[in-house]
Amino acid sequence: MQQPDKIAEYLKTVSQQIRWKKAQPVILEEIEGHLTDQRNAYLRDGFAEETATDKAIAEMGDPVVVGEQLDRAHRPRPDWTLLALTGTMLILGIVLQTFVNSAVEGEWLLERQVIWAGIAFIVMTAAYFADFTVIGKYPKIVFSILWAVTILFSFFTEEINGRASNMTYPLLLFPTAFAGFTYSMRNKGYFGLMLCGAAFLVPAYLSLIMPSLTTLFIMSVSCLIILTAAVLKGWFGTKRLPAMLIIYIPTAVVLSIPFIISIGTGYRAMRLKTLLNPSSDPMGAGFMVSLINRILSHSRFIGGGSPLEVFGVTEITQILPEINTDFMLTYLTHRFGWIVLIGIIVLFSAFIFRAAVLCKKQKSVLGFLTSTAIVSTFAMQSIVYIASNLGFLLFSPLSLPLISSGWKYIITNMLLIGFMLSVFRTGTLVKDKADAALVNTKRFIKYNNGQIIINLKSNLHMKMRI
Amino acid sequence: MPIDKSLITGSTTMLILKLLEESDMYGYQMIEELNRKSKNVFELKAGTLYPLLHTLEQKGLVTSYEKTADNARVRKYYSITKKGRKFLRDKKEEWKTFSSAVNDVLGGIIYATA
Repeated sequence: MQQPDKIAEYLKTVSQQIRWKKAQPVILEEIEGHLTDQRNAYLRDGFAEETATDKAIAEMGDPVVVGEQLDRAHRPRPDWTLLALTGTMLILGIVLQTFVNSAVEGEWLLERQVIWAGIAFIVMTAAYFADFTVIGKYPKIVFSILWAVTILFSFFTEEINGRASNMTYPLLLFPTAFAGFTYSMRNKGYFGLMLCGAAFLVPAYLSLIMPSLTTLFIMSVSCLIILTAAVLKGWFGTKRLPAMLIIYIPTAVVLSIPFIISIGTGYRAMRLKTLLNPSSDPMGAGFMVSLINRILSHSRFIGGGSPLEVFGVTEITQILPEINTDFMLTYLTHRFGWIVLIGIIVLFSAFIFRAAVLCKKQKSVLGFLTSTAIVSTFAMQSIVYIASNLGFLLFSPLSLPLISSGWKYIITNMLLIGFMLSVFRTGTLVKDKADAALVNTKRFIKYNNGQIIINLKSNLHMKMRI
Repeated sequence: MPIDKSLITGSTTMLILKLLEESDMYGYQMIEELNRKSKNVFELKAGTLYPLLHTLEQKGLVTSYEKTADNARVRKYYSITKKGRKFLRDKKEEWKTFSSAVNDVLGGIIYATA
């Protein structure tokens, strides 16, 4: 039997014992490396090629036993904490929706809500078993598909407040696709960084034609976090400071535009002024802010809040609009007390914190960037929603993930969560593709262990034993 | 001198962590080091080492990274984590208590037979 065949045979037997297919390549590579090291050591000790190989294999031990032990060490493990928190949010959503919708007249049905939650759960499970590395392998295709879907949705949509509302859902997926795009720009330097900026303009423009400033904001912050993380990891192969300046100077310029607008007198200017000083215009743009502040000031810590009257109306469900979607938390705080809001904040913080911890543990940059994108998208939605329900209304709320009404939001967020859990399940096994820069830096002539190695091409070596 | 196997297996984790406490190593290196340091008393089988390393990694006691060695081969290096260091400290304490207890008993017997 040929020598390499013996090792290949051994590895095959080992791999047959390991049930988790995805884990096999990484493990086998390590075992093969060891066998080669051991064989080379025996060759140096003066053994013949065949004896060296046999001894190396014997040293490793019975392939079936080794394979079984490795199988036991490698089982895909879901993160039960995150799964439990997701389930809690989904069920809490149904419970709170029941409370809220029992207070308003409408066509809401508990059965329908439960069915959608079930479908969303299936979507999450599918994403959980999906291979998240596709977004790193085919970033341009993923990006283009998402772009096409968003455009398509702009035609098939109901207009809510003059907005093509259906465009929001694919737009919320963009940061994740952006993570894949950023990943593909490894070692591309400042040019790669610029390309990322250009790629970002695609969803940014789509959010503007929708138009939704909230979507733009949530997406921009998420993409900014991804880029920052990539730069800090040295992913572009650039110096950190100049790269940060390239990211943040344009960002600062764009952010300063609203302040320039606020000097004027248009609608946006009013909205901004209202945020800074709501009582300046209690009947106009500041109406909602003043209203929320009044409702909250009538709330107790635990239990129903004291009644209040606005324009002769005393029923809170008629005073506050959109209580099952945009202002659910404000309503629930008044009805059941601050304890509800605090509970929600604790639950969401726990989810975001746990996810961020697992994010940080990711070894592959692709896994790290993908999970970072999803945590950011989730966190930003939650922060904007909770802030607006507390009366900080610079951006109108989008959704409180898995809680506030809207089955499309629930499905979109469950899809993202499933994808993130998929990263955490298999992330330890994902390797970033071979480093192109490393190949280039290989020296032309090298001396190693009594050998002179001449690199004719990066993949062609000439070895000479001395 | 052949040593009873059960004495070794329980302490292998401790020995591996001890090696990694000094420096990051790849699997083959660990086996060589262990042989050298124990003067060939501990001949750890590679087939035992890797499953153990992978389990330790999942428990968060060690972490791994890939590094290209001089001869352009990529090797998987292991490095001890903070949690791993703490685990090693606790195990060492346990070991000391255990071994001194064994010594006390054995010592007693030796005195009795002397």
